[in-house]
Amino acid sequence: MIIRIYMMRIYFISCFLVWITVAFAQESINANYSKAAEIDSALQQLVKEGVPGVSMAVYSKEGWWTTSAGYSKLEDKTLMQSSNLQYLQSVSKTFMAVCILKLYEQGKIDLEAPMTKYLPEKFSRHITDAGKITIHMLMKHTSGIPEYNSIPAYITKLLQHPDYPFTPEEYLQYIHGKPLTFVPGSKYSYRNTNYLILALIADAITGDHRKFLSDTITKPLGLSNTFYQGDPGYINYSNLVNSYWDRHSDGVLENATELQRKNVALLIGDDGIVATPVDAVKFLRGLMENKLLSASTLELMKSWAKDSKGNPTYGLGLDYAVFQNQIAYGHSGGGIGAGCQLYYFLEKNVYFFIGVNLGTVTESPIHEVMGKTLDKIHKALVE
Amino acid sequence: MRTKILGVMASCCLVFSLQAQTDNSNYRNFPIVVTLQFHCFSLPFRDIKSNFSNVGFGLGTEVSLNGKQNWAQQVSVVWYHNKMLGNGLLFYSQMAWRPTVSSDVFTEVKAGAGYLYSFRPIESFKQVNGKWVSAGHKGKGMLTLPVGVSVGHNGYSNGTYFSPFVSYQFLIVSGYNKSIPVVPETLVQMGTRIHF
Repeated sequence: MIIRIYMMRIYFISCFLVWITVAFAQESINANYSKAAEIDSALQQLVKEGVPGVSMAVYSKEGWWTTSAGYSKLEDKTLMQSSNLQYLQSVSKTFMAVCILKLYEQGKIDLEAPMTKYLPEKFSRHITDAGKITIHMLMKHTSGIPEYNSIPAYITKLLQHPDYPFTPEEYLQYIHGKPLTFVPGSKYSYRNTNYLILALIADAITGDHRKFLSDTITKPLGLSNTFYQGDPGYINYSNLVNSYWDRHSDGVLENATELQRKNVALLIGDDGIVATPVDAVKFLRGLMENKLLSASTLELMKSWAKDSKGNPTYGLGLDYAVFQNQIAYGHSGGGIGAGCQLYYFLEKNVYFFIGVNLGTVTESPIHEVMGKTLDKIHKALVE
Repeated sequence: MRTKILGVMASCCLVFSLQAQTDNSNYRNFPIVVTLQFHCFSLPFRDIKSNFSNVGFGLGTEVSLNGKQNWAQQVSVVWYHNKMLGNGLLFYSQMAWRPTVSSDVFTEVKAGAGYLYSFRPIESFKQVNGKWVSAGHKGKGMLTLPVGVSVGHNGYSNGTYFSPFVSYQFLIVSGYNKSIPVVPETLVQMGTRIHF
């Protein structure tokens, strides 16, 4: 009888622990978020103005709040939902920067050392004056290395052959022999190439930067809805949004899902991560709350490069933005068939992620109205 | 690949020159020009292999500007299939200068202007009264500057005669979108003028 009672207790305790685990694994959403109506109205406006779908997550003193509008798939009118995976695009650079800074904390990389100390010669031979460029310059976009993904030969090859399996070395071949666009360290100019190189450096140090990213970021933070190269099933997830682009800048949208997926699936360091809006915010929270890096390393991340007007603009994988006169740290992302913003308003202690399944790298009349609506959303978040 | 194509062109020249007839006065205006077209979205002389995945055809004619074969104004219409970039319908006119290499073998340098209607490769959508509706494969018309080189053979005869040729045509297409205002496209052309 006593054994039976003990068994019953063990059973109930086990059930309770499972319930606790499940309950806390899913963020509870505050349906009474004070800005909900205002932001929902703005998202509906976005959709009305031609954005196929939009999804958003907010974390503030009022807790978690998520919302979505429009469609994740226009073809069969599948509604956009908060559970849909969004393309983080260049937000992936912040993930990559955290990996490099983790290696710095572990004493495995010297930020002031030339990249040639770590980057294998088969890659560095494509970069002019590679020996003059430090890790710090790569992270801060002050290297002067040309952009690989704006080279016409690359763009035409990508559009004509979306299936072509570009390798990291092939990306670098597109800039082979091209001179640096300015003296390393002398100015800031955003280039995807810098973060591609950082991923290759992390590969050289750790053996596999993808596993290192998983061990350093996604596993410790419990980001179960964040995916990158090397993850099972990457990148063909059923809840990953379809992508659309305005090929001719005329407001007519074309399904670019295949092109987008195949392109993103091959990118490392500068792009490649997909996540739900909540997971994206959890990542930035983890970073800002020193769950990923020490306070001193986070401060290092905030050593800002200045723009041409002398204003702070970019740290080590971290963007310095000002929305509605409020300083925000984070990153934005843009691709052939998606765009997003992930930021933290430090004075207001508000985090947000917003993702759209409309391409942002080729200009569209829809972007003009999108910019104005984003202003409204920023305003609602900080007021 | 480029070397192979130049080799084939040189071989053609040699074969044609061996069979050449010499009668420049026998040039006749308004031949029918029929061509097989191979399209690619690429910079000139890059990715030539891919041209042969995207087949099309062309029809045209020409008129001599000086009564001889060596200066002509051409008019052509071309349709091509391109699964990735979308099919295209190209109308263009070019002035061609044809220096004779040997006997009836000619080379050609040509340039002109045209209009390319580029269809979308897949179904597209637009909003009408707040609802998404299909815009089909409807694309965009764009001004185009074609520039080309050719090699061929004038097979003069008193009756109907053929002047086969091979061309490489580079198209500078304007207004593709606001971010990439000019894009490069190429056409490998194989065909013949049929003079009646």
